[in-house]
Amino acid sequence: MKSEGESSRLVSLCIEAACESRESIEKWRRQRRSLQRLPSSLADSLLRRLLHRRLLFPSLLELFKHSVEVIDLRGENKVDAEWMAYLGAFQYLRSLNLADCHRITSPALWPLTGMTSLKELDLSRCTKVNNAAIKHLISIPSLEGLHISETGVTADGIKLLPSLKNLSVLDLGGLPVSNEALSSLQVLTKLEYLDLWGSDISNKGVGCLHLFPKLSILSLAWTNVTRLPNLPNLECLNMSNCTIDSLLEGDDNKAPLAKLILSEVRFEHEPEVFSYIETSFLSFLDISNSSLHGFCFLSHMKALEYLDLRSCMIGDDSVHLLTHMATNLTELNLSKTRVTSAGLAILVGYVPKLENLILSHALVDDLAISYISLMPSLKHVDLSNTNTKGLLPRPGSESNRTASEPDMIPSLAALKSLSVLETLNLENTKVTYAALPPLPSFQKLINLYLRSASLTDDSLHLLSSLLNLKRLGICDAVLTSQGLDSFKTPATLDMLDLRGCWLLSEDDILAFCRRHPQIEIRHEHLSCSTSCQRGSNWTSTSRIYLEPSQMRRNQGKMSMSRPNSHCFIDQRFKYSRERLLALQYHSLSLTPEGSLMELKMQFD
Amino acid sequence: MRKEDTVKLISAEGFEFVIDKEAAMVSQTIRNMLTSPGGFSETEHREVTFPEISTTILEKICQYFYWSLQYANGKETEFPIEPELTLELMMAANYLHT
Repeated sequence: MKSEGESSRLVSLCIEAACESRESIEKWRRQRRSLQRLPSSLADSLLRRLLHRRLLFPSLLELFKHSVEVIDLRGENKVDAEWMAYLGAFQYLRSLNLADCHRITSPALWPLTGMTSLKELDLSRCTKVNNAAIKHLISIPSLEGLHISETGVTADGIKLLPSLKNLSVLDLGGLPVSNEALSSLQVLTKLEYLDLWGSDISNKGVGCLHLFPKLSILSLAWTNVTRLPNLPNLECLNMSNCTIDSLLEGDDNKAPLAKLILSEVRFEHEPEVFSYIETSFLSFLDISNSSLHGFCFLSHMKALEYLDLRSCMIGDDSVHLLTHMATNLTELNLSKTRVTSAGLAILVGYVPKLENLILSHALVDDLAISYISLMPSLKHVDLSNTNTKGLLPRPGSESNRTASEPDMIPSLAALKSLSVLETLNLENTKVTYAALPPLPSFQKLINLYLRSASLTDDSLHLLSSLLNLKRLGICDAVLTSQGLDSFKTPATLDMLDLRGCWLLSEDDILAFCRRHPQIEIRHEHLSCSTSCQRGSNWTSTSRIYLEPSQMRRNQGKMSMSRPNSHCFIDQRFKYSRERLLALQYHSLSLTPEGSLMELKMQFD
Repeated sequence: MRKEDTVKLISAEGFEFVIDKEAAMVSQTIRNMLTSPGGFSETEHREVTFPEISTTILEKICQYFYWSLQYANGKETEFPIEPELTLELMMAANYLHT
């Protein structure tokens, strides 16, 4: 992988130089012959870079009309009818993403009529787009993927879609799709992905879903569907926020379900609901916030890799069920459950592959740490908002409890046995300075998050010796400017979160920023960090501290389940420039035959 | 410099650049040409012709090869690219996998 990244370095240097400023663009924009010969992969990334640098304007688009195949203009507010007039002339345009471009109207899409190469079009949340737009779009027979969730399109517009015979991906989320409109789509037999969240579909409507022989990804979240009949090729199903009576009931071939999202579901006939599900392929199960009381069904799901039990009624009495199926589990979310340290003790020895354990707001304490330390593959541990103190009475000292100061030892020391531990989240716990001394011995630790008013300069000083640290959060701490001055930052550090450290003045923060330009600082005194903060306050803690790949997965999940438009967080904040460039090329490598693959990947 | 340790890169206009083999190997494409056992004529004569790459661009490419070696050895300087060269250079770099 490394050689691949290096091999494209000169290309990225060139793109960087080409997009340096308006003047540099002027230097190459008249080289028409070169622009025409530009391979589409290069043209795509050049265009993307221009967009990121805010240097793209409509007439510049014209230069790319013979080369560009993929354009992603997501969330660009300035994109309007003039842009579309140029884009309509793009000969080889294969994928156009206009999601959240609020100035796009139905008439603005007229230039797209009759395009011959366009396969994928995303108009999600373009609220001014309505049925009139569909009339333009049906003249593009090559369309294979169409996303029109949360637009102004109604059932009448949807009834026009059957003329797009090649559609395999159709996202109608948040639209008033009626049973009648859905049944009019029957002729779209190539359909593999269908998103109907928030639609008016009822039990009567889902009866016709079996007429889509290839349907493998389906979302019926936030609908009134209570009984979903068996669908022979279904791999991913999202029925979050529904009331479920029966699921995939039927005698014929059971669906090879791999991913099942039943977040915030109310179950009518609890014990039977999972009885029709083929469990041999099921690797992803989200039943967070659901009304389930019994969890016996879990013991059959031996292929599960991801299990989200957040805010479920699960307690220690049900944990033994997990011991039957946890061999393949890599991620387990038990936050806001009634599981205690004793429950975790039951899991020890049964979770050989568990990498990510989230216990935020669970009823665990320091005893849990000793059990966690016996789960050998753990990379990410989230103990935030728990009763963890980081201190345990020294074994044997219980007898003389009467002594005024019981003999305490740091409980975190046990985690030393986790040789691959990368992330430790101890925010809002009772951890004090006394608990921290074992931390410097975790040399693999990359991310550490602390948030407590009892942390001081000493704690920060102690953390200097964590040499591989990349992201450090030490929020709400009583740090002074001297403390920050004398902090020897680990060379690898690229993010330091100091939010809530109220004793630091604006000058302290700015001086630190100047001394360490490579480190992204978060503090209320920095304007950019305030926007970050608003964003992360909204996302649950468990989500923020996942690795980017997992982050993407979660975003994918969210977009399947509900509108994602609460607030716009510029995702670029999270990454360094090098990282962004790497990501840029990462998405490049996904382009051919992209649409469905990418969707599936988001889903995985 | 021993002859075995050099390669000759020839531009579209016929200009010849003789550079260290080690530098040329920065390009994955040239590396493959020079090391593949398939009996490429390039392997024998240590000479590669690029009918698509102009002299100006090939010169820049050679500079990049040497810069890249220095960079790998920890000398972190910038590699300057004139904006008017970016398009052609980018295409050449893409072809050469460098």
